[in-house]
Amino acid sequence: MPEWLLKDENYIPQADKDTFVNKSILSLLSILSRFKTQSGYRVETFRVSAVLKVAFTIFLIVLLSLSRSFTFIIIVNVYLLLILSMMRTGEILKILRMSFIVAFFTFIILIPAAFWGNYYSMIMITPKVFATVMAVNILSHSTQWHSITSALKTFFVPDIFILVLDITIKYIMLLGEFSLNMLYSLKLRSVGKNRNKYASISGVAGTMFIKSKEMAEDMYTAMECRGYTGEYRVYTKTKFTYADFIYMMINIVIIFAFFYLGKV
Amino acid sequence: MIEMKNVSYAYEGICALKDVTLHISKGEAIALLGPNGSGKSTLLKLINGIVSPDAGSYKFNNEDITHKKLQDTKFTKLFHQKIGFVFQNSDTQLFCADVFDEIAFGPRQMGMNESDVDQRVNDCLSLLNIQDFKHRPPYHLSGGEKRKVAIACVLALNPEVLVLDEPMNGLDPRTQRWLVGFLSNLNKAGKTLITSTHNLELVQEISKRSILFDENHCIVADLPTDDLLQDVDLLKRVNLVDEFYHKHEGNEHKHFHMHNF
Repeated sequence: MPEWLLKDENYIPQADKDTFVNKSILSLLSILSRFKTQSGYRVETFRVSAVLKVAFTIFLIVLLSLSRSFTFIIIVNVYLLLILSMMRTGEILKILRMSFIVAFFTFIILIPAAFWGNYYSMIMITPKVFATVMAVNILSHSTQWHSITSALKTFFVPDIFILVLDITIKYIMLLGEFSLNMLYSLKLRSVGKNRNKYASISGVAGTMFIKSKEMAEDMYTAMECRGYTGEYRVYTKTKFTYADFIYMMINIVIIFAFFYLGKV
Repeated sequence: MIEMKNVSYAYEGICALKDVTLHISKGEAIALLGPNGSGKSTLLKLINGIVSPDAGSYKFNNEDITHKKLQDTKFTKLFHQKIGFVFQNSDTQLFCADVFDEIAFGPRQMGMNESDVDQRVNDCLSLLNIQDFKHRPPYHLSGGEKRKVAIACVLALNPEVLVLDEPMNGLDPRTQRWLVGFLSNLNKAGKTLITSTHNLELVQEISKRSILFDENHCIVADLPTDDLLQDVDLLKRVNLVDEFYHKHEGNEHKHFHMHNF
C-alpha cells in the first residue's frame, strides 16, 4: 500500500461552479420520474381502453377547434376538470400548471386582437387551448406509453412505426438512467476545481454514444436470434368493459352537445 | 463516523427505505445484504449524498448531512472526497479519454501538481495491477478491467470510506477472489468499507458485520457476519438462500443452498 493511502487526506476544496451538472441531473430526473410514474396505479384507476381514450381525445380536440359555441367549450372544460379531479394531487397540479401556462401565453398573444375590437377570439381561443392542453395531458398521464403506441394500430399506423416508437420510449428510459448515473459519478468525483468542465461533459456524451451504439447492435442481434426478418407485427387484445361503455356514453353525449349547441 | 436515525426514502411515493437506523464506526467493514429491490443501493446513494432522506437524520463525522448542506458546493466536494463510491455498472463511472486521465481526474481537481498526480496515478495502477492499460481508452477494456479502473479512480481521491455497490457482479471467479483480497487489505490499512452484495460465499471475507434488509425495505438484522450466516431461517425468509432438490451421486435429496445472484 502506498504511504498516502494509509493517511487521512488533508484537503480543503476550492469553490467551483457545478450548475451545469446539477441542472442536467435535475432535468434528467424529472424526465425519468415521468416515465417511472407510468406504473400500475393508472391501469387500476382508469380502466378505460387506450384505443377509446386516444380516439376520443383526438375527436374532442377536433370538436373543440371546430366549435363556435362558448357553452360547449365550457362543458368540455368542466368534463375534463372532473376527470382531472380523480387523479393524484401531484398530477392535478402538474397538468393544471401546464394548461394555465399555455392558456396564459395564448391570452397574451391575443391581447392585440382584443385592442382592435376582436374580443371574440380571446374569449373563445383561450379556453379552447386550456381544454386541449388538459385533454392531451390527461391522456399522457393516465395511459401507459406502451398502451398509447399499441392503440395507434387501430388507426392503421404501420406496425414498424409502432415498434420504432416503443423502442424509442424504452431507450429514453434506459439511456436516461445510464446518463443519470454518469452525471452522478461525475459529480461525486468532482471534488475540486475542474478547469476543463467541457472535456468531462463531452466524455460523458461520448461514452453515452458508444453505449447506445452497443445497445442498438446487441438488440438487433437479439431480435435476429429470435427470428426477426424485417417484418414486425403488433398484436393488440382489446376487451370491451363496463368502464369503456360509460366512457363512450359520456363522450357520445359530448358529441351530441357539440351538434345541438352548434345549431342553437 | 456514519450515523443514521429513522431514515426513510421513497421514489415518487414508492418506498425504498423504511425507518433505517444504523451506526458505522471508522475502520469497520460492513456488508449490506438483501434481496433485489430491498433498498441496499438506495442506502448507498444516501450515504454518498446523491439523495437526501425524506425523514430521519444522517450524520457523517458528527455533521448533519441535509439537502440544504449538499447545496453548498465547498462542503459537498469535501464530503465526496471523504466517501468514495464505486458504482455497480463501471461503464457509468468512466468518461475520460484514457485510463491515466481517468485516474488523474480526481487528484488534478484536488490541486496537486503534475508530478504528485503522476505518482498517485502510478501507485493506483500498480496497486490494482493495471499498468498495461495506462494509455488505453476505458471503453476498450473488459468488465473486470473496467471495475479495477473504477476502483482506482475512487482510490486516487484517498477517501476515508469506500462504498461499493455489488462489486462482484459480472466478474469471473479469479477476479472476484482477487477483489476480495484487495478489499480486505484496504480495510486492514484503515479504510472503512461498505459493500452491498448478494454473494454469501465471499461476504465473510469482505466484512466483519452484516446488515440484512428484507423485501419491506427495513433492516431485519445487524449482526457479525459469521453469526448472520448461521441463521439459515432468517436468510431463507429474506430470499437469500433457498431450498431445492438435486442429486449427489445418484441420490436425490434437498438441502439449503446459497446462491450468487
